[in-house]
Amino acid sequence: MRPFDYARPATREQAVQLLAATPGRAAVLAGGSDLLALMKDGVVTPERLVSLQGLQGDHTLRFLRYTAAAGFRIGALTTLADLAASEVLRLEHPVVAETAGRLAGPQIRNVATVGGNLCQRPRCWYFRSGFGLLAAREGASLVVAGDNRHHAILGNDGPAYFVTPSTLAPVLIALDAEVVLLGPQGERTIPLEKLYRLPLAEGEREHDLGPGEILTELQLGPAAGRQVGTWEVRQRETLDWSLATAAVALEMEDGRVKRARVVLGQVAPLPWTSREAESFLTGKTIDEAAADEAAKLAVQGAKPLSKNRYKVQLARVAVRRALLAATGLDREL
Amino acid sequence: MNGIGASPPRPDGFAKVSGAARYLDDLSLPGMWHGATLRSPHAHARIRSIAWDAALAPDGAVCVTVGDLPGPNGVQLIDDGWPILAGAFTHHVGEPVALVAAPTRLAAQQALQAFTVTYEPLDAVLSLEAAEALPPLYQLGMDSGDVDAALARADLVVEGEYRTGHQEHIYIECNGMIASYAEDGALTVLGSMQCPYYVQKALTHALGLADEQVRVRATTVGGGFGGKEDFPSAIALHAALLARACGRPVKLVYDRHEDIVCTSKRHPTLVRHRTGVTRDGRLAALDIEILMDGGAYTTLSSVVLSRALLHSFGPYRCADVRIRARALRTHTAPNSAFRGFGAPQVEFAIERQMDRIAHRLGLDPLEIRLRNAVAPGDRLPTGQILDAGTSALPCLEEVARRTRFRERRQELEAARARRAAEGDEDQNGAEPRRGIGLSLYFHGAGFTGNGERMMKSPVTARLLPDGRIEVLTAMTDMGQGCSAVFPQIAAAAGGLLPEDVTFAEPDTAEVPDSGPTVASRTTMIVGGLIARVTAALRDRVLEGLPGHTVRDGWIESPAGRVERFRDAARRLRAEHGPVELTLRHEPPAWQTFDETTYRGAAYPTYAWGADVVEVEVDPDTLAVRPLQVTAVCEVGRAIHPTLCAGQIEGGTLQALGWALLEEMKLEDGRYLNDRLATYVIPTILDSPRIDVHLLESHRDGGGPFGGPFGAKGVGELPMDGGAPAVAQAIENATGIGVPAIPATPERLLAWQRAGQTPGGVR
Ligand SMILES: Cc1cc2nc3c(=O)[nH]c(=O)nc-3n(C[C@H](O)[C@H](O)[C@H](O)COP(=O)(O)OP(=O)(O)OC[C@H]3O[C@@H](n4cnc5c(N)ncnc54)[C@H](O)[C@@H]3O)c2cc1C
Repeated sequence: MRPFDYARPATREQAVQLLAATPGRAAVLAGGSDLLALMKDGVVTPERLVSLQGLQGDHTLRFLRYTAAAGFRIGALTTLADLAASEVLRLEHPVVAETAGRLAGPQIRNVATVGGNLCQRPRCWYFRSGFGLLAAREGASLVVAGDNRHHAILGNDGPAYFVTPSTLAPVLIALDAEVVLLGPQGERTIPLEKLYRLPLAEGEREHDLGPGEILTELQLGPAAGRQVGTWEVRQRETLDWSLATAAVALEMEDGRVKRARVVLGQVAPLPWTSREAESFLTGKTIDEAAADEAAKLAVQGAKPLSKNRYKVQLARVAVRRALLAATGLDREL
Repeated sequence: MNGIGASPPRPDGFAKVSGAARYLDDLSLPGMWHGATLRSPHAHARIRSIAWDAALAPDGAVCVTVGDLPGPNGVQLIDDGWPILAGAFTHHVGEPVALVAAPTRLAAQQALQAFTVTYEPLDAVLSLEAAEALPPLYQLGMDSGDVDAALARADLVVEGEYRTGHQEHIYIECNGMIASYAEDGALTVLGSMQCPYYVQKALTHALGLADEQVRVRATTVGGGFGGKEDFPSAIALHAALLARACGRPVKLVYDRHEDIVCTSKRHPTLVRHRTGVTRDGRLAALDIEILMDGGAYTTLSSVVLSRALLHSFGPYRCADVRIRARALRTHTAPNSAFRGFGAPQVEFAIERQMDRIAHRLGLDPLEIRLRNAVAPGDRLPTGQILDAGTSALPCLEEVARRTRFRERRQELEAARARRAAEGDEDQNGAEPRRGIGLSLYFHGAGFTGNGERMMKSPVTARLLPDGRIEVLTAMTDMGQGCSAVFPQIAAAAGGLLPEDVTFAEPDTAEVPDSGPTVASRTTMIVGGLIARVTAALRDRVLEGLPGHTVRDGWIESPAGRVERFRDAARRLRAEHGPVELTLRHEPPAWQTFDETTYRGAAYPTYAWGADVVEVEVDPDTLAVRPLQVTAVCEVGRAIHPTLCAGQIEGGTLQALGWALLEEMKLEDGRYLNDRLATYVIPTILDSPRIDVHLLESHRDGGGPFGGPFGAKGVGELPMDGGAPAVAQAIENATGIGVPAIPATPERLLAWQRAGQTPGGVR
């Protein structure tokens, strides 16, 4: 690992200033479970780490607050283990608590934070081997020509072919979560969905984080009767990312879908909202046939690369099963 | 409590689980520096130049390049064809090109930047297909009877091609060494290794030192699985060269990434079978071609290939057999020893071929095996007549009985037929598909062929001044448990208590060269010697006491207890001075093997096993979950049943990982998943329930082979059975043919599309 400066500011503003002082050359350190691995492998080489673990008093970012009216405000440094253990989260949004509790393994969940999870970097093996996020050589993508079995099947018109790694993000986006960002220019609140963007050139980040900007808080409204379901297709049971995931949230009225959110993970460079599936589901009652059709629509636009055609099938299965899980049909079968 | 067949606590256990055990990287010597290795980024390239700019390196850092070698540029194993540092060419990604040492690990890493190497990239050979047309690293053949005639006569000829991939050892402790020179030029090397004397031999050969000038000590070994058989010799050389260059002790430890990038893996293998069978399912002819990917250098490929050849016909009877085996050269790190040593790959292939034959003939997998499995007195294709402990059939029958294999398989088939009739065979059936599979396997225990005869391994025992017996061997306990089993064997053979016997640490300055800790030979061969030498030393103490024996640590006359053995031994030691005995292993006279024709008794005996695996397959994603494994293994005699069963559980899980998850993905000769986050091995949550049942053919004393109390080597046996049983279970569950492993969802979906069936491609 390259040597670096280490700062442990006490206030959020100091943190932001320390980051903004050396734009592009400083990194936020939360739990470190992703960042330190990237540094050890020399994939990122920040000159300064700004740890959020020393924030004091009102500035700390490890909290989970709930009100019946507004729902949850969750500090960015809240660990995944905190999420999994929270009684009120388990009651209100069991799927979120379960997703957090299933992620990685106990040791990782004890250090990994919500902010770090949402801002973790892609697992693309070209990126992790130091070929850059877009893994391009002389204008051509190594991914397209190479081993792309774990890469994107949707939203892959280039130049990005990696897949978004967080399993929490699709669930939270399906639940219309928002995030609060604090930067040198102050605070802004955006839908979590908007945190993710397609990088168009090497050096651009896949997150909409301005210079010096940090994620301070996740906001998640009350369940409000929504039916929620997820499905993760995984190869190994634990300590491993999924091959494809889907999260579904349905607002129901008189047994019909009033509004649907269908979000896929691990299939595109960003959490992938399927407008096709969402509009198909609107107004429908959910049965197996509807779930099949929605799943088919969700992957209709898929453009598999040379080695990842199988992922189309996995993504379809994930959507179908997430829908059945949301409506409880999986238990009746 | 401690006798043969008891399971006393292992002496190394507490220190290991409490964190007190000190592994190589926990050790530090005064003034010690740290080493780092500059590695080739190319699979194949000419090295035009190497320049070192001392101004760019941290203060005082030293470097070693190929020009600095004091002797031959070869790591001495079977031969010395494996370079210590790349010379004019580099032949794989990660090949060591130069070395540096500096006061800290970080400084050593930084010092690597002071090198400028100019490479001229060349075409690389990166697949078995591409390598097949080129001269092999090594080749072997064996012929028995007349295969062509037997194939022509056969009622049916079945062909098959089966593949297995790289497997990485993932021992918990990565490779590492510390080397230091004394003022008189003597070299001491500490490290994590299976074979202290291999390391010593490599050091004396390359550094031009005499045996007495090189001392090698194994520190606590955090796992090996074969991965610490050859590489420690290279790393010890690197550390020693750096210590020589900087005049200080040097530690060279790999982190996980470096360890995966540059050390050996299991040989990827392609086996082609052409089998003649009779209508009633008996093997009439076996025509087998084995291709193993040896990587860039031969290292141990010749002996891995030899063991592969000798297991490729499986535990089956067949008189007309032709085997052609080649280790091919590709531009990857040398592939080498890994638990099973070539046997798991070829046993996967023969087991898959048996399943394909059964499928063609409409037999069930149990029946085809019952009809062909060897029995005592049968001949293997090599001509070896099998001993009375030959237990293929007992294992098969026991595993089938315990799992109700036939009934269970019929139940599953009936359920499938029912579903098909109900028209629910479409892609969207939600219910997981269950399947059951079975395998039969065997493993030759000890070195192949004349290996033991050539080595004549010695073990020494001597009396300590306090009257205890000290036994000296070069074996290392890498977790397999010889530090628990050896005292049991010595105590039982000498009539002593465990505390009457102590074992020396593996240190070439102290212990004789009792050979490497490999080839399932530790308990069987070295353990046998320990029994003999301890008994011989006891008899030395009993000299002049006719009719006396030793039991439970007491010397007994016909009238009863006379005195504690230790008291008599202490007296003898005091009166006579050092009392020491060395015995050498002598294979039984009947065990002869012809290394040119590959005929004869390749192993003194075999251990046997049969597995039944039940899996659940997701009908949509084809993700496989193993639910239950039953392993019945015949081990001769289990000295320490808990450790013995532990070997079988661990080996079985390692086989399941290889069969379902583990795959090294290569691009331009680079491993793409060269980290633990991407090279996935099973965790406890991926582990099915594994029930182990031990059969012991020689409970009542030695068999016709050399193992103490009848014990056979078991370390590698369990690696042979898991993969083919899982593959068969997947076929049973899905109807999709499984000609290769790992059987990942991705491959299963592709095979489904391509029309792979248990009988071959549709
Ligand atoms: C074996 C293994 C398996 C895993 N499996 C999964 C899985 O299945 N699903 C899944 O979702 N994740 C998985 N993970 C990833 C894990 O969830 C993340 O590593 C973790 O959540 C990151 O959190 P952290 O606090 O450690 O982040 P850090 O490592 O500290 O930071 C990660 C990144 O986010 C940035 N960052 C952190 N906090 C902030 C902030 N507040 N504002 C702005 N930027 C910030 C950092 O600069 C860095 O770039 C796995 C990890 C491992 C090691």
